[in-house]
Amino acid sequence: MGIVEEAHNVKVLGSGEQVIVLSHGFGSDQSIWRYLVPHMVEDYRVILYDNMGAGTTNPEYFDFERYSTIEGFVYDLLAILEELQVKSCIFIGHSALSMVGAIASVSRPDLFSKLIMLSATPRLLNDEDYQGGMERRDVEQIFEGMRSNYEAWCQGFAPLVVGGDMDSVAVQEFSRTLFNMRPDIALSLAQVIFLTDMRHVLPLVTTPCHILQSMKDMAVPVFVSEYLHQNIGGQSIVEVMPTGGHLPQLSSPETVIPVILKHIRLDITE
Amino acid sequence: MRAGLSTIQQTLTPEAASVLNNSIAEASRRNHGQTTPLHVAATLLASPSGFLRQACIKSHPNSSHPLQCRALELCFSVSLERLPTAQNLSPGHDPPISNALMAALKRAQAHQRRGCPEQQQQPLLAVKVELEQLIISILDDPSVSRVMREASFSSPAVKATIEQSLNSSSNSSAAAAASNSNSFGFGFRTPGAVPVPAPATNRNLYVNPRLQQGSIAQSGQQRNEEVKRLVDILLKKKRNPVLVGESEPEMVVRELLKRIENKEIGDGLLKNVQVIHLEKNFQDKTQTAAKIMELGGLIETRIANLDCGGVILDLGDLKWLVEQPVNFAGAGGVQQQQIVSEAGQAAVTEMGKLLARFGERSGSGGGGRVWLIGTATCETYLRCQVYHPSMETDWDLQAVPIAPRAPLPGMFPRLGTNGILSNSVESFSPLKGFPTITPTPPRRLTENLDPAQRMSCCPQCMHNYEQELAKTIPKESEISSSEFKSETTQQLLPQWLKSAKSQDVDAKTLDQTLTKDQELIFKQKSLELQKKWHYKCLHLHPVYHQPNVGSERITQPALSTMSLYNTNLLPRQHFQPKLGLNRNIGGSPQLNPNLFPSQSPGQAITPPGSPVKTDLVLGRPKSSENTPEKGHEESIKDFFGVVASEPQIKLHDLQANKLLSALDADSFKRLLKGLLEKVLTGLAKRRWHQLYQISGTNPIMVSLGARRDDGESEVNFRGKTGLDRTVEAVRRNPFSVIMLEDIDEADMLVRASIKRAMERGRLSDSHGREISLGNVIFILTANWLPDNLNFLSNGVSLDEEKLISLASGGWQLRLSLSKKTAKRHASWLQDEERSAKPKKNSGSALSFDLNETAGAEEDKADGSRNSSDLTIDHEDEHVPNNRLLTPTVSSLSRELLNSVDDNIVFKPLDFGLIRCEVSNSITKRFSPLSVIESHLKFKTRRLKRLLVGYG
Repeated sequence: MGIVEEAHNVKVLGSGEQVIVLSHGFGSDQSIWRYLVPHMVEDYRVILYDNMGAGTTNPEYFDFERYSTIEGFVYDLLAILEELQVKSCIFIGHSALSMVGAIASVSRPDLFSKLIMLSATPRLLNDEDYQGGMERRDVEQIFEGMRSNYEAWCQGFAPLVVGGDMDSVAVQEFSRTLFNMRPDIALSLAQVIFLTDMRHVLPLVTTPCHILQSMKDMAVPVFVSEYLHQNIGGQSIVEVMPTGGHLPQLSSPETVIPVILKHIRLDITE
Repeated sequence: MRAGLSTIQQTLTPEAASVLNNSIAEASRRNHGQTTPLHVAATLLASPSGFLRQACIKSHPNSSHPLQCRALELCFSVSLERLPTAQNLSPGHDPPISNALMAALKRAQAHQRRGCPEQQQQPLLAVKVELEQLIISILDDPSVSRVMREASFSSPAVKATIEQSLNSSSNSSAAAAASNSNSFGFGFRTPGAVPVPAPATNRNLYVNPRLQQGSIAQSGQQRNEEVKRLVDILLKKKRNPVLVGESEPEMVVRELLKRIENKEIGDGLLKNVQVIHLEKNFQDKTQTAAKIMELGGLIETRIANLDCGGVILDLGDLKWLVEQPVNFAGAGGVQQQQIVSEAGQAAVTEMGKLLARFGERSGSGGGGRVWLIGTATCETYLRCQVYHPSMETDWDLQAVPIAPRAPLPGMFPRLGTNGILSNSVESFSPLKGFPTITPTPPRRLTENLDPAQRMSCCPQCMHNYEQELAKTIPKESEISSSEFKSETTQQLLPQWLKSAKSQDVDAKTLDQTLTKDQELIFKQKSLELQKKWHYKCLHLHPVYHQPNVGSERITQPALSTMSLYNTNLLPRQHFQPKLGLNRNIGGSPQLNPNLFPSQSPGQAITPPGSPVKTDLVLGRPKSSENTPEKGHEESIKDFFGVVASEPQIKLHDLQANKLLSALDADSFKRLLKGLLEKVLTGLAKRRWHQLYQISGTNPIMVSLGARRDDGESEVNFRGKTGLDRTVEAVRRNPFSVIMLEDIDEADMLVRASIKRAMERGRLSDSHGREISLGNVIFILTANWLPDNLNFLSNGVSLDEEKLISLASGGWQLRLSLSKKTAKRHASWLQDEERSAKPKKNSGSALSFDLNETAGAEEDKADGSRNSSDLTIDHEDEHVPNNRLLTPTVSSLSRELLNSVDDNIVFKPLDFGLIRCEVSNSITKRFSPLSVIESHLKFKTRRLKRLLVGYG
């Protein structure tokens, strides 16, 4: 096993011609796809990996400089694809880190045949003519919370994001993975995720994008999906699912999984 | 000699023969009169299998230090430089084999025959000289063994090593009944030529550097071993280690010292050792020696203390011994340098004394001992050996090579800052199968030009110098990188990286992995070249070197290009993608389109005696003397010289220029913009350079069309296809803009291979030999409008008036007196609406879909003309030339057109307009004089040709 695979806990499951790469978002790890994966291994070769900084990765490898922009994660993704000698894949990303796939597809369009972006957002902060869903001061608060008491912050943040009550499995799960991260790394990551602005990338994306979105998502309002749809350079399609929360694949797998499978199977047509 | 050579080659195994061929090529490259054993030895040493190299390392008495081999290489390269160059050797003629080499070859043959008694019955020629025998007999050559002695190698010892391995492995292979002559016999020869690195797949471009550092973190383990080795040296060999390596040898030292201070290394002598860090004491170099003397006292007191088991002096990086301040040319600088080296010398002596003093004491059992420990890069260490030859023995040093363990840290983050996105999509075009940029050579080229040693030459010579350097360096880099590969146990370049070298990012990586000591060699090479050109320049262009003398006409353009070169070169020195990009953008305003017309005339002066220039102009030898502009200028002069006075000429020149620039500026700007865009998004620096070259010198022209020049030109391309000429142009001018003229008239083969070249970044000639496109920008021109570009010209509206004027132009041609121009002109005129489309970079053929003006006009008429090839036929009736083009061709070329980076359609209108205006103004001006009309026509044609030249 190559160093990259090992560092990112890469798992290659299933068999099939089509390669599907599953990438998780901030605060989680590959286990967030646990409900989805069993439905895919029959037909596809599924690549799971952890983004650097996730609790399951070696914090030693987290180069704060490299991961001070999202591009660090892009390089990681490309490194993995390179190492596994993937020639073409469907990328399924989640949250702000699904932009990793988008950016990677800009640099290596040959590697990506389709991007499926779940609860994706190019920018979380509100801006002029843009409703990212968060205000600057909210974000500052988040950072402050992370700095002062990471555990407590996790306890508060997880239910907010997942959109369920404290005791739900999804919330438990997310707060577990969230808390798994080393606090300083989590903070650095959060700063990247919350403050970065990738809107300028969108016009460059030419790979077909399938944008899946919860109807009610505290972090990413539906506006963002529309924004993505309008601004992505290539073809794109939006499906708003009757789910709630930012991690629908965890909180409402029964709804999300068929949708994702459908989008894997079907391509956008004119 | 040729015949002799081929017979000789029959007596060699392919392997040995290729070595010989390479040596001959090397000799011819260096312009040497003969191929000598030295060439062969140098080639052997540089060969990828590194057979000789390994034998040398094995045989070396002191250490198996790769550095020693570097020294050997340097010595060979120096000795090759000393060989006289042949003055009268015709180019293309290989330097004959020298007597010494011939003798060596005969010896090899004799040895070989003796070596295999069982083959005695076979005819003589069947006995092929193995590479090993060749090496042995080369080692016997006195000149070679002298050079080896200089590098402290003994050729007999090396020979013995080889023979030994020959015997041992032939024994074992006999047992194994290995009959394959390739595997016959050589323990350390890698059968598959270039070894394929096993761990290569583990590295890829995008990988987090931490992973690499970390994963070899086993690196901890590795370091452990290194520390152990150091302790060994300190204790058992009682020598003073100097850690030599590019990758953080300090870390190992620090680790060792930390352990010593923490008393982790418990055994014996090192138990109570104290460490004194010296590096910071040596900031002021003039007082180093004194400091060392003081140090003696300090050590004395420490050792006097009974607890103290000894003292380790941590010398830090040895560069303080050899470091020189940048030599700002001038007496002061030189003096300072001397002081420094004297200081270094003094320091070496003092330290030697110090060691001797305490060495004796410890030898007599008097307690404490003094050790030295230091670090150095390969380059520093080599320099130490050069400047302080006695140091190694006086200080009792032992060099400990530290293997580099990962690509240099920092390159990946840099990649990151360079930014996937900051360059937008285009920067990734290389990854999309866009042809190739191999930035390695140019980078080296720039590296060679440190500010201190940048030569002062006029731009022409500078240009020539760079070209020559470029010719040298690709070979060098190939050789040395392969050396490097065979030498480092740990493979630095992933396989896929190598195969994808053409991708620019990759090449950066490549660059960075090449270590400094190689650059040392390059530096040396380039320095020599610099000197040569500087000298030449002094002779050829004395004016340039005496700023206050000299006609302004020469100095002005020269200076302005010079400044361009400088601004260009300066940033390139510290070539880093990040910096590069910024500077480029910052620098862009510097280039304005006006430079083009204004500078070209000045640049047309070619330095006599430079062979390069004639080679450049492959297609049209004539133009080596005259750029189009110049030709134009001259013709004007010829013409006006009779009737008008000097000022008038100037005036007219001005007018014409103005006209031209006004009319053509638009198209031109677009061309420039196209180029600039590429520059900004691609691997910028070099492109800038190329742009400067465009503005500064003639682009290299390769005419692929039917030949229009007269017979003389034939000499140069006899037996060469257009493709070969293109390849040769690329090979000779890897950093240039190459203009492929009349791509539409080129045959299918040429176009197909250009297309392939665009896709793969390598161009293969008609013999299948491939050459990397390097940094060449191709500009293709063609005369026909591809139909998919028609709309562009339609906007321009072809009015009848224009058609008429064009038609009349054609008629005029036939009348014209000058055959040559007329012919040339004819083609331009025939497609009356001429549209040249230069394409940027690896251009591709235009589709000549035969849509010429006539066709275009028809299009306009029926509005929705189908662009399929079928429609072409009826147009053929109008234009006989079109017969050249078959539908298949045009489809191919359309494909090509698609892969071209940019099309620029030069508006056809300009011609008629210019001609009208110019001829009007001329007629007006000269009507009082009795000028016959034909003169005027001649002029207008010239003008048009000038325009064409711009295309």
